[in-house]
Amino acid sequence: MRWIAAVLFSVIAHAGPPDWTGFYSLARGKDLGSFKPVNLNLHEVIVAHLQPWARAKMEATDGVADDPGGTCQPDGIFRYPSFAGSFLWLPLTDKILIVYNEINTAGVERVYLNRQHPKNLLPTWNGDSIGHWEGDTLVVDTIGFNDKSWLQPGMEPHSEEAHLIQRIRQVGNGAFIEITNVVEDRQALTSAYTYSRYYKRTGESLAENVCAEDPQVWKDFRRKALQPHLEHSREVR
Amino acid sequence: MTRVLVAVLLSSFSFGFAQTGPPDIAGVYQVIPGGATLAGGLRNEGSPANVPLLPAAVQQIKTADLKRDPAKMCQPVGPFRMMAREDTKIEVAPALAHGMVVVLFEDASRGLIRTIFLNRGHSGKTTPTWMGDSIGRWEGNTLVVDTTGFNDETWLNDAGARHSEALHLVEKIRPILGGKYLEYKMTAEDPKALAKPYTYTRYYEKLKAEIQEDVCEDEQ
Repeated sequence: MRWIAAVLFSVIAHAGPPDWTGFYSLARGKDLGSFKPVNLNLHEVIVAHLQPWARAKMEATDGVADDPGGTCQPDGIFRYPSFAGSFLWLPLTDKILIVYNEINTAGVERVYLNRQHPKNLLPTWNGDSIGHWEGDTLVVDTIGFNDKSWLQPGMEPHSEEAHLIQRIRQVGNGAFIEITNVVEDRQALTSAYTYSRYYKRTGESLAENVCAEDPQVWKDFRRKALQPHLEHSREVR
Repeated sequence: MTRVLVAVLLSSFSFGFAQTGPPDIAGVYQVIPGGATLAGGLRNEGSPANVPLLPAAVQQIKTADLKRDPAKMCQPVGPFRMMAREDTKIEVAPALAHGMVVVLFEDASRGLIRTIFLNRGHSGKTTPTWMGDSIGRWEGNTLVVDTTGFNDETWLNDAGARHSEALHLVEKIRPILGGKYLEYKMTAEDPKALAKPYTYTRYYEKLKAEIQEDVCEDEQ
């Protein structure tokens, strides 16, 4: 029977973590079915958690002029995935790649599974992500952000102390990925806030998205998309 | 019990079979320096700078506004030019069970992303794109990639040589020297811009490095 045990062990070892490879897009409205994202009113939630200096900075910000994505700089991973995110989920042996559709402005989240955060991290737009599996949930810990991006399109600031914890799992019989985010930032926030979003598996690949194809067209596109959110955030203030 | 054992053995056999399939080319790579020579005298050959242009394309290059070079505007430079570069890392990420190989670039603005589909023909979409439509197949341990469907926004080289939407690329990629390197051969043909098909060769070294964040705007 030993050989049977050996074969079974081999098969189990090959099974490894779940394979969610595929293309996903932010689920909204009817696509959500019975799923209920936590804190859809994210701007209000964040504003309620901002330190006074951060709130003052947000109110002093010119949303359009200070929109990094408008000049083809990254939006950062706080903003794009929860706002319009579509991505390719691509597991490799030592990491998971979350390739965002707007690769110029959202980039790639590389979640390293076999290492810790490096010491003396240089701040970057997307930070440094490490992850581990807790059962069927991938827990991702990201630090090392620069302070150039915003938490959401309402231009809510964060500092280099920002810390993102994501709990990611497949739900709906594999039709969705659920991402629950906890954001901490002892410099910019009074306490942590949480929100979740659902991403529906799609049969389509990532559409080509070239930020600077025509700089003026791009800026107009961004301004048009951003304006309602800026107006909403002014109302909230 | 017998059925379970048979299923387990078949499953085990299938793993073993899969391991004899296409080579694992996953990893982070970078083109070896121009002057370097590998075992067997292998070295980079050719360059986008040397593409043989038709007379009209030669005339056009004389009026090229080099300030409008996509590379200087943080725009994609296209696979023909990007894959020849020695100064940036690439990440090859196969998802063979899902019928694709993805190539990512450290210089994401200029490289963007390449998705090579293994289980379909060209999409037939009519809208040309910067990176084109790539399909691939394995010939032994060589991945053969066929790309069409380009727009005419990218340049073939730093001098401003243009191509048409008829640009057609064929790439042959195979691991060599025990998987420490990839041999990469790129052939471009474009009956509207090139006098004849042109091929260059690059050798990519597999690195233990990670891809770093490289934001184009930060350089300006």
